[in-house]
Amino acid sequence: MADHDKHDEHGHGEHHIVPIPLYLMVFGILMVGTILTVGAAVVDLDHIFPGANTLVALLIATIKMTFVMLYFMHVKYSPKLIGLSIVGTFLFLAIMFAFTMQDYLTRSIGNFSN
Amino acid sequence: MQNIDAINSEIIERPAVNYLNNGYSLKSWLLTRDHKRIAMLYLASVSFFFMLGGIFAGLIRLELLTPQSDLLESASYNKVFTAHGVIMVFLFLIPAIPATLGNFLIPLMIGAKDLAFPRINLLSWYLYMSGAAVAAYALLQGGVDTGWTFYAPYSTTFSNGYVVATGLGAFIIGFSSILTGLNFIVTVHTMRAPGMTWFRLPLFVWAHYATSLIMILGTPVVAITILLLALERLAKVGIFDPAIGGDPILFQHLFWFYSHPAVYIMILPSMGVISELIANFSRKRIFGYEFVAFSSIAIAVIGFIVWGHHLFVSGQSIYAGLVFSFLTMVVAIPSAVKTFNWTATLYKGSISWDTPMLYALGFLGLFLVGGLTGLFLGTAGLDIHLSDTYFIVAHFHYIMVGGTVMGYLGGIHFWWSKMTGREYSEFWGKVSAMVVFIGFNLLFFPQFILGYMGMPRRYASYPEELQVLNIFSTAGASVLGVGFIMPVFYLVHSLFFGKKAADNPWLLPGLEWRTASPPITENFESTPIVTWEAYEFGEESGLHTEEARRTTLAPTA
Amino acid sequence: MATNVSAHEHHYHPPGLQHQFEDMGQQQESASIGMWMFLAQEIMFFGGLFTAYLVFRAKFPMAFAAGSNHLDIYWGTGNTVVLIVSSLTMALAVHYAQLGKRMAQVLCIILTMILGATFLGVKAVEYTAKYNEGIVPVTGLNRRTPAGEAQAPVETAGEHKTGATEHAYHNPKGEFQWTDASLAKKAEDAGYLTSAEKAGYYANGVLDANKFRDKVRIFYWIYFAMTGLHALHMIVGLGLMAWLLWKAWLGTYTADYYSPVEMSGLYWHFVDIVWIFLFPLLYLLGRHFGGGH
Repeated sequence: MADHDKHDEHGHGEHHIVPIPLYLMVFGILMVGTILTVGAAVVDLDHIFPGANTLVALLIATIKMTFVMLYFMHVKYSPKLIGLSIVGTFLFLAIMFAFTMQDYLTRSIGNFSN
Repeated sequence: MQNIDAINSEIIERPAVNYLNNGYSLKSWLLTRDHKRIAMLYLASVSFFFMLGGIFAGLIRLELLTPQSDLLESASYNKVFTAHGVIMVFLFLIPAIPATLGNFLIPLMIGAKDLAFPRINLLSWYLYMSGAAVAAYALLQGGVDTGWTFYAPYSTTFSNGYVVATGLGAFIIGFSSILTGLNFIVTVHTMRAPGMTWFRLPLFVWAHYATSLIMILGTPVVAITILLLALERLAKVGIFDPAIGGDPILFQHLFWFYSHPAVYIMILPSMGVISELIANFSRKRIFGYEFVAFSSIAIAVIGFIVWGHHLFVSGQSIYAGLVFSFLTMVVAIPSAVKTFNWTATLYKGSISWDTPMLYALGFLGLFLVGGLTGLFLGTAGLDIHLSDTYFIVAHFHYIMVGGTVMGYLGGIHFWWSKMTGREYSEFWGKVSAMVVFIGFNLLFFPQFILGYMGMPRRYASYPEELQVLNIFSTAGASVLGVGFIMPVFYLVHSLFFGKKAADNPWLLPGLEWRTASPPITENFESTPIVTWEAYEFGEESGLHTEEARRTTLAPTA
Repeated sequence: MATNVSAHEHHYHPPGLQHQFEDMGQQQESASIGMWMFLAQEIMFFGGLFTAYLVFRAKFPMAFAAGSNHLDIYWGTGNTVVLIVSSLTMALAVHYAQLGKRMAQVLCIILTMILGATFLGVKAVEYTAKYNEGIVPVTGLNRRTPAGEAQAPVETAGEHKTGATEHAYHNPKGEFQWTDASLAKKAEDAGYLTSAEKAGYYANGVLDANKFRDKVRIFYWIYFAMTGLHALHMIVGLGLMAWLLWKAWLGTYTADYYSPVEMSGLYWHFVDIVWIFLFPLLYLLGRHFGGGH
């Protein structure tokens, strides 16, 4: 309660109603993103640098996710705490990926047999 | 308890109906949504499993009395130490403090009527019991011999035990833990009473907030890991089998991504209890409140990036070993911050030696030993010598028993009068605290030496020259067992024959002490308004009025 | 301490307000934070599988590309579109709940359910195709052809252009079938194979189809684990929708009280987001390599 009074101004209390055209616009972006993903997958980008295809695919997916979260899931109109906890969760996810991979990618370093 | 209706005295009026006598039927307990009643359900079930795990511990120590494997053959010994580990970790240590004391106290401490989601709270108890039932089924069918860590490929390919059933039990209990954490986080965010700002929260609440973060972010990972393990055992695709390109170390990475932070799920709530005990029994604002509060969060966050120190000898890369070893040193810093601040709080405090305080001081000594030996083990080079020896066993028991169980018992004693409205025998309380401390050290200190001498863990037999220290250890186990059984007797005794407790026997500032003992179902007569800082013992606290002083008097029935 | 009469009994209680909260704002905020915390744990839950994916893909990229090329890109893309449309209808359901429009709400929920069921139907078609082709990674869960009928042609669902249709196989134990190591051969010729990959695919210094098969099998294991878990979430979502439909039909949700619609919406969108990542990571690997198409 101590700070939900503060949140009332920009969060719950009076709810932000997203207009339908905005929903349709986000929907359009998602569809374009899907087409782009498939299109980018059949073009060889890996000759630019290895992994470019994957990078592009993940970049598009992340953009799509951001739009779904901001508008469909109303994060844009929610208390900052919500956005913060999403970013925080992805940070921990990144920790899991990064600290697991730092093992797999360095298996040969300092190994006497190599 | 039938007399509890009659709590009335000439001096103090008590509400006739409190959360305990507000219905006696089985249904009123099993379908309750009152966080206090759910906490009592947890208290009973968690303590039961602690006893059960203790019996398995006793069997282990009895077997190790002699160098030969005579009481138990090796196969049964494997099952016994696995049962001890699974029960203690999943059924006792993880829910112990959050689900009992946390559940009971967080709404009281922040001035709320209940947790944010009472039904989810009840659901989490049922999940806990269902998971426990599944694990018990596995145990009765013949048990598991993998150790509580379920390492692949032994658990997926070779073990004959009930790995899938035990894993399913742990999986279900995991969701109970997630729901508890979720409930706490939401409650702390939205349910605080007017004036209860973040920096007026008792440190117990901060510690539980940090714990809840780990529960939400870590537990699902072990859930999916156990799921993969069970599917692998049933489907035999070989993702953990190195022969066809699978990777057993992947299992260890995923498992310890949760299970190392889980160590902090066990110790952080206990640290919260200790902060309360030290500050209140020194009658002083805790030294460096903000530092203690944020060190809880720091432990929770840094605790997620040290898991690789469990993999030093598993085939992890040397580079990763170095990084994890360094980060392990870093996580010692916030723990040290807490320890130093507790010590500084004691300095020039007005210390009283009640039973809970004895447990708290015991915690300080034991946690210090446990924490510092953790640094030995976090040093990658030294760990190669000490890995899988009794040194490790001693180290984590100093944290888990010396830390968590001491905090659990200290907290139970401290808030016993609040939870039950009765006073336990202070004399027997003090005796039990001393017996636990002595028995514990006698049990586990010799194991440091045994480990350093090279005695490996998880074997039923050992060379004869190690017998003397093992006899010490088993003797300590007997003493510790007595120390743990004593509270069961005098606490249960106090439920029926104990003196009626005062609302605020020690004249403490916390909100939980400003309501009746035991509290009414809605916790407070009206929503409290907080105007004082945490651990404020001066004039600001409003404790020096005549009315406040009257709450230190026990009602005379 | 306080001796005044309990104040909570005199409060005005709006319908749907639970006793532990002071007002609707507090209840709404609690529900919202609680749901997001639940989604946070869901992210970490799927995260464990993504970590397994990452580790194995980094180890055996060619086996993953080979397995991925054999998935049906048309069904995959179609399903992505279906889910995105369902996300739109779900968002509109919340929108109409906020405006208190009952019939529009009900219609949107029904549309969402139809689209969700379509997604699951397509998934079932894909799984069946894998079953018929013998590329379900679990022994015993593939189509078995009795030894006597060994030469009988096996029909496959879908129009797959890969080798699976060309030869009739008998598979008495329902084992995982994969003989195509052409992609690894191609990568070997181009000098793309890393030493770790060589260690995985080679037997006695040469590319071995059986060893390659085992790695493709790991890809399919991860494919089934991830899409299976996702499908399970879809089924739970459909259950939620059914309950929501019933309540919305009864007119429970008004401009003042629509939290359950919003929370179910968050869950539905989350499941959509998981698919947004699963689709490129499972279906679109190494398509430019020219393996399948």
